[in-house]
Amino acid sequence: MSVTAQLVLNGVMLGAMYAIIAVGLTLIFGIVRVVNFAHGEFLMIGMYAVYLLSRHAGLHPYAAALPVVLLLFAVGALVQRFVIQKLLNADEHIQIFATVGLSTAFINLALLLFGADLRAVDVPWARQSAAIGPFNVLFGHVVILAAAIALVVGLHLFMQNTALGRAIRATAQNRYAARLMGVKVERIYIIAFGLGAACVGLASALIMPLYPASPTIGAYFVLTAFVVVVLGGMRSMVGAFLGAMIIGIVDSLSGYYIAPDLKEVVYFAIFILILIFKPTGLFGFGRGTE
Amino acid sequence: MRKRLTAGAGALFVLALAAGLSPAAAQIKIGALYPFSGALALLGDESFRGVELAVEERNAAGGLKGKKIEIVKGDAVDPSQAVGEARRLTSVEKAPVIFGTYSSSLSLAATQVTELASIPYFELGAVSDPITERGYKFVFRTNPTAKDFGAKTVDAVLDQIAPALKLDGKALKVAIIHEDSLYGQTVAGFQAARAKEKGLAIVETLPYSAKSVDLTPLVLRLKSAAVDVVLQTSYQNDTVLFFRQMKEQGFKPKAVIGAGGGYSMVDTMKAVGADNMEGALDVDFTQYRSNPAGAPGIEDFVKKYQAKYGTAPRSGHSLANYMGSKVFFDAMEKARDLSGAAIREEVMKVDVKAGTTATGWGAKFNDKGQNERAEPFLMQWRKGELVTVAPDSAAVEKLSLSAN
Repeated sequence: MSVTAQLVLNGVMLGAMYAIIAVGLTLIFGIVRVVNFAHGEFLMIGMYAVYLLSRHAGLHPYAAALPVVLLLFAVGALVQRFVIQKLLNADEHIQIFATVGLSTAFINLALLLFGADLRAVDVPWARQSAAIGPFNVLFGHVVILAAAIALVVGLHLFMQNTALGRAIRATAQNRYAARLMGVKVERIYIIAFGLGAACVGLASALIMPLYPASPTIGAYFVLTAFVVVVLGGMRSMVGAFLGAMIIGIVDSLSGYYIAPDLKEVVYFAIFILILIFKPTGLFGFGRGTE
Repeated sequence: MRKRLTAGAGALFVLALAAGLSPAAAQIKIGALYPFSGALALLGDESFRGVELAVEERNAAGGLKGKKIEIVKGDAVDPSQAVGEARRLTSVEKAPVIFGTYSSSLSLAATQVTELASIPYFELGAVSDPITERGYKFVFRTNPTAKDFGAKTVDAVLDQIAPALKLDGKALKVAIIHEDSLYGQTVAGFQAARAKEKGLAIVETLPYSAKSVDLTPLVLRLKSAAVDVVLQTSYQNDTVLFFRQMKEQGFKPKAVIGAGGGYSMVDTMKAVGADNMEGALDVDFTQYRSNPAGAPGIEDFVKKYQAKYGTAPRSGHSLANYMGSKVFFDAMEKARDLSGAAIREEVMKVDVKAGTTATGWGAKFNDKGQNERAEPFLMQWRKGELVTVAPDSAAVEKLSLSAN
């Protein structure tokens, strides 16, 4: 029994990590309507940035979050402005190829600059376990969970209560109508893509104390994030958060009770079932929003 | 008429080209096929450095057959690129031999090209057994294979770990965990077979994806089964994750043995932390902290490496490739020419005693091209260094399990 509870707890922590990444992916997909296959590589760029800042500027990885979030916002905005913008009216496949190409280019750029070595930062207390009754959680994970909740709540408030947030939502609902209402759609896309990338910037600063950076680290997290985004209804941030929790817990439980190498089978099976029976996702807006 | 003229001019041009190229024959080109970019680049590059050092040493001593050796690199990121690059090296660059490859899947693909062209392929680092089990005539391998790794890890439990713990090896609860690609599957398969043969109790066999971001479920399963000894076959990220999460979940087996891969990398130890890695065992190619008495030339190699690259060797891969290159250069030197047949003849005559090379391995090839005098060593992480603990001739320190 205590093992099960521990597994669920671990699953929640894992879910929080996926949530921050998936929220960024949801923003980009839900608003710009581009499947960003370079999302994992944004994470990788962020992690190397955190590494460099903490190694050479002596910043604590968590303190590096701020500059890295800004950096990733800039990276995302530039990618949108100079790559995706030009392809907005092109076929979806072309957009996908563009992001896949970016991803390959970023991975090999990192190999060129950093080699394939692992780069780790040392924050011993983030990897300390805190005992909650008979259970263990890492301090680093608690920080991630708190950040994930704050991020989702913050973004939700931003979207609902600010003029920019409303403009973003309007653009997501109907690009043409929004333009007719005087919304500068191109600018909104640049901001949305930047925000999506900035989420990954936050994730990279929080993940860095727990996982070493390597050029291919993005693939470790992002494949799962795609499943989360679909599960969460593709446009809902709260959906992405809950989806991430479900996947985290499923991941953790199936790894123990079924087999560690079959956990992907389990959550991809869930993925397929959702695509068949509820293509708009568990927390989707329903048909017609696409 | 005009057609014949152009043909004549073409022929002249080709002749001129050939004449222009002939001074280049003062060099012998060798192909070096490794993954220089992509996910395998780190150890691919580390492996290549061994060949590079062997070539420099040879060139400084007068070269091969009086000619300088020139390395032509081929970058093999995946099997299809390995095939393409093997073709380029053999037909465009006209390299008479190819050295490689570090990764087994790349080697299996590239050797199909060279075999058809009767060009010798010297494998210095890939461990998959089938590479030298397909009846190819021009594929030779100096390094030990996955089967040797499987056998050595299991034997270490009975021959080294159990005595050090003063326990009966057959009473120990052993678990096999491995990443689920070809590498992990292969080694784990040989481990299971050897364990059965030797009567070892395997209580859990758990494969996992090397791209996992969470191995806690696996750690908890080992913990619930009260496993004493863990045999892991893993890459780098998953090794780091396993060690960190073992600590987080308070799982302390009596011994952990890796089968090379992530266990042999200095970066793994740095990411895990020297304290956390202390006492972990590793079966792999000879590492550079071995006793020179059992591996003469190893100190010289480390010195040269340090001088050229400005860092200590990052793993034993460079050393294994260095040793293998030297063996094959000697055979090529003796061959009457650089044709496949002539080189094969000399490779088959190679007879180097164990304990006389920089890796401590000997060299004697069976008719399949596999070196029968190579064996992986048993190493242990001690204060951030991977030191050899067995065999005795190359051991620097005695195995100690007090840390656990």
